[in-house]
Formats: sequence, structure tokens, C-alpha cells
Amino acid sequence: MFRFSPDQTRVAGAIVVAIGLHLTGMALIEGYGSAFGLRAMLVLASLLAIASIGQTLVVIIGGIDLSIPFLIGFANVVAAQLFGDGMNFMLVCLIIGGLAGLIGALNGAISSGLRIHPLIVTLGMGTIVQGAVLLWTAGFPSGSAPAAVSEFVSIGGEAMGLPVPWLVPCFIVLAALITLMLARTPYGRRLFALGSNPGAAPLALINPVLMWTATFALSAFFAAMAGVLLLGFTGSAYGEVGQPYLFQTIAAVVIGGTALIGGRGSYLGTVAGAVVLTELNTLLIGLGLQPPMVQAALGVIIIGLVSLYGRDPPLRTLI
Amino acid sequence: MTASPRTAAPNGRATLRSIWRQTGFAPALLVILVILNIIINPARFAPGNWGTLIGLAAPLIGAAMASTPAILGGRGGIDISVGPLMGFVNAMVVLVLIKTLGITSPVIIVPAAIATGMLVGAINGLLAAILRIQPIVATLGVYLILVGATLTILPAPTGTVPAWFKGLAGAYSILPLGAVVLAWWGIRRLPYYDHLMAVGSDDRAAYTAGVPVTAVRFISYVITGAFAGVAGLMLTALIGSADPAIGPTYTLIAISAVALGGISLAGGRGGLLGAAIGAADIFLLQSVLTYFNVSTFVLQIGYGTVLILAIVLTAVQERLLDRGKGGAP
Repeated sequence: MFRFSPDQTRVAGAIVVAIGLHLTGMALIEGYGSAFGLRAMLVLASLLAIASIGQTLVVIIGGIDLSIPFLIGFANVVAAQLFGDGMNFMLVCLIIGGLAGLIGALNGAISSGLRIHPLIVTLGMGTIVQGAVLLWTAGFPSGSAPAAVSEFVSIGGEAMGLPVPWLVPCFIVLAALITLMLARTPYGRRLFALGSNPGAAPLALINPVLMWTATFALSAFFAAMAGVLLLGFTGSAYGEVGQPYLFQTIAAVVIGGTALIGGRGSYLGTVAGAVVLTELNTLLIGLGLQPPMVQAALGVIIIGLVSLYGRDPPLRTLI
Repeated sequence: MTASPRTAAPNGRATLRSIWRQTGFAPALLVILVILNIIINPARFAPGNWGTLIGLAAPLIGAAMASTPAILGGRGGIDISVGPLMGFVNAMVVLVLIKTLGITSPVIIVPAAIATGMLVGAINGLLAAILRIQPIVATLGVYLILVGATLTILPAPTGTVPAWFKGLAGAYSILPLGAVVLAWWGIRRLPYYDHLMAVGSDDRAAYTAGVPVTAVRFISYVITGAFAGVAGLMLTALIGSADPAIGPTYTLIAISAVALGGISLAGGRGGLLGAAIGAADIFLLQSVLTYFNVSTFVLQIGYGTVLILAIVLTAVQERLLDRGKGGAP
């Protein structure tokens, strides 16, 4: 008989909540389940899930990355600016991906090499990146997204005859690859090993500094990817575009059952968490709540969900 | 640096060493920044202006001190709702107490602000310590609720405050800060303080030794809430009105100040003094950079760079002191 492990229960919980929210929306709001609404939610959830890839990896290793919103803003503004200056878009993406990877690598190397809490390092680094971008553009980013990227994420787009933009099938492939990487590669096994026991992992010849550097570099890279995709979504550059993603990536990771203490979690859970957050937002706005009330309700619901299935074990069981 | 035998060191040096260990580079940076500020801008830093200056720095210092007790409790203990709580207290005091109910007496306003802070702190403690929701998520939920509630009752800046209140950001600006320091001084004399530090250093060992870990952590959030309530009063005194947008901006900068002040985000090490010094450093640094009339963008880069440098230096110095001891980041 197949039995769920506690981690699988958490992921299943998030999926059940997402489905429940969708059914509630269909019952309460007319047009909630319409094709357009569904497509919009798929695109928004995909963008959030891509921005949360890095947060998932970083949290599994036992860290946290607060530089994600700043890197999203960085990629968003720099991509528009360079493309607007007439640079080849592939080259633009290479430059942004490389720079983001370097910034992330620095985050991981400093946090791990000097044993400084990554919360502070990523926050400081994010502040520097944002300041540098603002300085470069003098606060007024210009330029635009290439039509191909806009098409790629457009809610009205079509892919392989399906009524969804290419973003959605590509994201599904990406999610499968990330899941495979976590489950089947040496990198994935080392990630979980280091997260669950940072003291013992080096004895198994896992280099913690190398792992942290690589993982934070990946996190920054995927944040930059989300930033470029958001540029296609909104059409013009905006340095603050990543700000809502600061807490949303953490919320998606936690709702998906990944523990912030490290060593546990899955990307499938994060995807479910991203869907839950997107459904919630759409549902609450659809019910006619004002934005401040939506925010407050999100707070209540995040606490409610996590207290249902995301609680830490009692201390007495850890002795 | 060569290690000298501890017994041979004179008492003064031992004290200095303990301050150094507790607060890291922050005090040295403070001295340098104060001197720099006095040299480049003597008028602004004249003794007659100190009241106003402290009033300007007070909300950040208050926010940093308020963030500290929850962090000292360890196992991811942190309260990111401190900033929004200050904004919420600001809105409650100006809009509800002063504007709607017409209450202007400090005898009611001050206890009401602290009680509001303690109530929110108790909710945080209930979620993080008793229900065992990961603290950053629990207080993030409360963060969102407080921001939403503040914006709902106060969509735009409004209101005024009585004269005594404005004095708290001027001539008497040291009073609220002094009250927090005094309260913490009292707490440090209680057995509770030892329990908190024990729980923060190693909660499993503390639990086995019979320390009521859950209660200790719960109370740390209540203390954080009470101090955040006072910080909300400092903010209100400074801006002299109710503004829904300012409070939340203090959260992350306060946590930076805490880290700068040598408080371990893993818990069990550091104190309120370090947090206050770290916050004063950030304030003075902003003051220097502003004087040079650089754009806010450069100010941001400078602030981030100094934060990283100071923390890297603190970590290097700690490694020199603790050579050979292991530990997670």
C-alpha cells in the first residue's frame, strides 16, 4: 500500500488547497473559471514559480535570499536599456545571466565562507545592486522588450495549438528539470545533505562554500530570468517590479511545505505554493476587496495555511 | 593578533574585550562617524542640536532595539513586523486617540501605544513560539495584516500631535530611548534574561535543563512588541502626523542595524546596546553621505557596501577570536 511521507503530505496539502480555492472562485465569482482567467492565472503563477526556483534551492540548503527582488529589478531594467540601445537580445541575456550569476555567487561565497547570515548579506548586496542600476539609468529606465519576449509571455498567446503562451509549456519542462535535478543528480543530493546537517556534510566530502556559491548563483540567475520575462509581460522597464516578489517567493516556498530550517522540501511544493498565492490574489480581488484588505487577508491566510500543515516539530522530539 | 593568557590581562582590557566581542566593529565605526560628522558639519552637530538629532535617529534606533529580543531567542527567531507595527501604532495614536477621541494626555497615549505593541507581540509569540510556525513566516503574515489594516484605517497622511509629543523628537528626544534602555537594564537583572540567552545559544540543552523554552520565546516577542510600540511613539513624534507609508520601511534597515551591532541572527549573542550602536552607525553614515550631496542612488550603494564590509570585518575578527570553534553559518 502506497503511503504519503510527511513531506509529500505537505505538497499534497498545498495542491488540495489550490484546487479548493479554484472551486470556491468558480462558485462565488462569475467568469472565474473562464479560459481567459485561467490563462492569466497560469502566466502569473509561472512567473512567480520561476522567481521562486532560487528561493527553494537556497532554503533547502538552509539559507534565505532577500536579493531576489533586486535582481529581478536589475534584469528588468538592464535588459530594456541594453536592448533599447540596439544590442542583440541573445547577447543581452548572456550579459544579464552572467552578471546575475556573479552577484549570486558573491552572496553565497560571503555567507558561507565567513559564516554570516545570508539574510544580511543578500539584503546588503541587493541594496548595492539596486543603487547601481538606479545610478546607471539616473532613475528613469528606458527601452522596451523585444516582441519575441512579449509574445512568449502574452496572456493571449498560443503554443502548439493550445490557448496558452509558450511560457507555460516551457515552464512545465523547466519545473520537471528542476525536480529531476533535485532528485537525481549529485548536486541535488549534496544540497539536501548540506541542508539537513551542515556539520556532517563536509565529512562526506561536500564542499559547503562551493555548494553555497553555486546555489546562490543559480538563485540569482533564475531571479534575472523572471526579471526579463516580467519585462515582456509589462512591456516597459520598472526598477521596483520585483518588490512584491520579496515576500511572495518566501511564502510560496513555505506554503509548498519546504522548511526554512533547511534539508527538506521540493520544487513541486513551491509550484503548488505559487498557484495557491495566485489563486488567492485573484479570488480576493474578484470578491471586490480593496488592495490593502487583500494584503491583510493574504497575511491571515498564509498564517492559517502554514499552521495547518507547515508547523515545526516540538522541541522535545528533537532531543 | 597573538593570544595572551587571559589571567594576565588587566581587568580593563578584559572588559574592553568583552564589549568588542559583543558589538564587533560597530563602536569603532561609531566613533569614526561621529568625529567625521562633527568635522564636516559642525553646525548640524553642535550640542544645542543634539535633541533634534537624536529625535531624527530615534525611530531607527528604536526599531533596531525592538528587533533584538526576538532574535536573541534563536532557532530562526525574528520579528519582521516591527516596522509595520510602528506604523500601526502611529496610525492608532494620531487617528484614533488624538483625532477621533480627542485624547491628548500622555498618561493615556503612552500606555495605549505600549499595550498595542504588546498585544501584537503576543500574537507574534503565539504564532511563532506556541504554534511553532517558522518565525519569519508568522511575522510576515502579521506584517501583511498590519500594513493592510493601517492602510484601511488611514489611506493617506493626516492629523497633528500635541506640543508635548513634538518635544519627544526635539528637546526631550532622549526620554523614549532612555525608557527602552532602562526597561532592558531591568530585564537583564531578571533570571528571564539568562533563560533567553540560554535558549538562544542552545535551545535543546536549555530544554533539557528545565528552562521553559516556549514561554521564554513567547515573552521575547512580547518584549519586542512593547519596544516597537515605544518606537512607534518616536516615529509619531518625529513626523508629527499619521503616515501609513513610513513604518514598513524600517523593518529591513532595523535588521541590518541589528546585524551591524554584532547580534548573531542565530540567537544567544549580543544585546540592545549593540543594536542601538549599529542603528546610530547607519544614521550617521547616511548623514555623512547626504552632506556630500551625492544622489540617493550613491547613498544606497554606499550604505549597502558599508553594511557588507562591516559585517565581513566582524566575521573575520570573530574567526580570529574563536579560532578552532565550529558552527553553522
